[in-house]
Amino acid sequence: MLTYALRRTLISIPIIILATFLTFGIISISGDPLQEIRQLPNITQEQIDNVRESRGLDDPVTVQYLRWVENIAQGSFGEYMISPRAIWPDIQRVLGNTMQLVIAAEIIAFVLAVFLGVMSAKRQYSLFDYTTTTISFIGYSFPSFLFALFLQVAVVQIFVRTGVRIFPIGNLSSANPGTGLSFLIDRIWHLILPMASLAIFSVASYSRYMRASMLEVINSDYVRTARAKGLPERTITTRHAMRNALIPTLTVAALSFGTLLGGTIIIETVFGLDGMGRYFFQQLGRRDPYPLMAWLTIVAIVIVIFNLIADLLYGYLDPRIRYD
Amino acid sequence: MTEPLLSIRDLVTEFSTPDGVVHAVDGVSYDVFPGETVGVVGESGSGKSVTVMSILRLIPEPPGRIARGEIMLEGRNLLELDDDELRAVRGKDIAMVFQDPMTSLNPVLTVGSQIAEAITTHDSKVNDAEARRRTVELLELVGVPNAAARFGQYPHEYSGGMRQRAMIAMAIANQPKILIADEPTTALDVTIQAQVLNVLAKAQKETNAGTILITHDLGVIAEMADRVVVMYGGRVVETGTVDDIFHNPTHPYTLGLLSSLPRSDRQLERLEPIPGQPPSLINLPKGCAFHPRCRMSAGRDVCRTEVPELVQLGEGRASACHFHEELPEEIARIEAAMGLEFGADEQEGE
Ligand SMILES: Nc1ncnc2c1ncn2[C@@H]1O[C@H](COP(=O)(O)OP(=O)(O)O)[C@@H](O)[C@H]1O
Ligand code: SF4
Ligand SMILES: [Mg+2]
Repeated sequence: MLTYALRRTLISIPIIILATFLTFGIISISGDPLQEIRQLPNITQEQIDNVRESRGLDDPVTVQYLRWVENIAQGSFGEYMISPRAIWPDIQRVLGNTMQLVIAAEIIAFVLAVFLGVMSAKRQYSLFDYTTTTISFIGYSFPSFLFALFLQVAVVQIFVRTGVRIFPIGNLSSANPGTGLSFLIDRIWHLILPMASLAIFSVASYSRYMRASMLEVINSDYVRTARAKGLPERTITTRHAMRNALIPTLTVAALSFGTLLGGTIIIETVFGLDGMGRYFFQQLGRRDPYPLMAWLTIVAIVIVIFNLIADLLYGYLDPRIRYD
Repeated sequence: MTEPLLSIRDLVTEFSTPDGVVHAVDGVSYDVFPGETVGVVGESGSGKSVTVMSILRLIPEPPGRIARGEIMLEGRNLLELDDDELRAVRGKDIAMVFQDPMTSLNPVLTVGSQIAEAITTHDSKVNDAEARRRTVELLELVGVPNAAARFGQYPHEYSGGMRQRAMIAMAIANQPKILIADEPTTALDVTIQAQVLNVLAKAQKETNAGTILITHDLGVIAEMADRVVVMYGGRVVETGTVDDIFHNPTHPYTLGLLSSLPRSDRQLERLEPIPGQPPSLINLPKGCAFHPRCRMSAGRDVCRTEVPELVQLGEGRASACHFHEELPEEIARIEAAMGLEFGADEQEGE
């Protein structure tokens, strides 16, 4: 298993290199990296030429790319074009914030989806089943930013009418969040609305998977065997049915992690959260290739890691799969 | 005879399907006495499995529904038990071996743990170590080599024959009073069918359980069963001892089954196969369900209009044919035509 994980990691290195090279090329030809600098007041042509030369912007793309790789090899994502400030500390900060949001959303979405899927399957064609099915389809097709806006409007309306501020509609923390437990509670309080907006799509999609695989398992021969043995219904559901039905659902969930990260671009912007998504959105307008490259590389690595986790989980849950 | 251990009385089980109501089991009655093996035969789709699934209420509901009848086990009607009482019967008083060992075991749990849980769920005093010890004993009993090591293996690490042995071990784990085996060897390779049947016979001896053995193989019936129940179109058409059924069948359908049996004295030909197809259980033929395929009916009206009752002809002997007393002539006719004697083959084998 360890050698398998190692091999899989090694295989993903060339994939990441190829992906970064392609995006580097695309970003290079898609705009003027000096656009922001040109717009500065009182900037002289000489200063612009200086930057162009010191950054090697006239070199061929491959040379520029290799220079970028060299930076990474030294543990840095380079500096912003406009000011000699390191990119990595910013990435570190927003990555940490986004991971809190996304992992919490993923866990909550998964637990809720499993519960809904199991209950729907066990009561197929009941009112509960039809209701969750309908809500799922709405959640599935409804744009998450609209959902986020509705939540914000609702919270503001409640505040205006009652003076009670149920949830904040922006930021990661209050002005004085305190430390330790009070900081944690303050953080969770701030993350609830963004989390809900982000999770609704995942709940909808994972619960459909869970329902479908649960239905298949409930009607399987081995569940009939379990029942014929005289096991209590709860044991049949959890030990015999759910364990099997979870396998495809967990895989889908782990593989969908990238989609969730993509969702943060909108949600973090709507809620003004200092995370990866909003960072990407901000940098996109500035034509500076280096922060964008840093962002894409990190996202690619995170997705690769979650694909690997999906694979290993699959092998752990299904004894028929063996890695060697 | 003594009292029956299990009595199925007038059982009716139906399925609602988009095409109509499937009358899978239509008034079936038969008994199982202590220690005996009842063989149930009939073409595929005749309601053999649905009958035994109904005993433990393992029919998927919906679309299935047990509409009528009684399943009496030692004076209790199993169809009236509440969930907890039913659970106490399942796998304890009555245990089952299913047809397909490839799909009947849970792929993500070890074989050993699946047998062990059959023990612990009915006896909370048994701890894990004890359940494990007993499971290993059971696996040894059914001839799984290296049982202690194979306890922790998963179903995919077992061959088909070994899985069916494990299923048998699971079924006898609680010394059931009734053991039901639904075509236990049909899904297996021909070369290991005999071994698994031997294991089943041994398991039955060990527990002295009254056994229901479903098969479409009359050879298996001849070897394993004491009494035979013949089913057709969701109904019982004949019952009798193995001797009765093989030598003096009292229903044309049974006779048809016997005639289509390949025999060692006329090896290559499958003589006189039953013409036509098994009936549709949605629109069962009026009158005797067998009449469209019956040679003996000879177009007589009563066969097409009146459902023949299952009439008692003697101790444990019954037939559902309006003209059962004509059977000896029919047998003589076929024997003459084929130059053989019914039952002779099986006698040699014994
Ligand atoms: N779950 C089900 N839904 C609909 N019809 C069923 C179901 N299970 C069994 N049947 C029908 O019941 C009839 C009897 O089936 P069965 O008892 O399995 O026959 P067999 O004698 O081969 O064991 C068949 O026609 C089958 O189509
Ligand atoms: S009742 Fe008539 S049709 Fe049915 S088996 Fe007897 S002879 Fe044949
Ligand atoms: Mg069957």
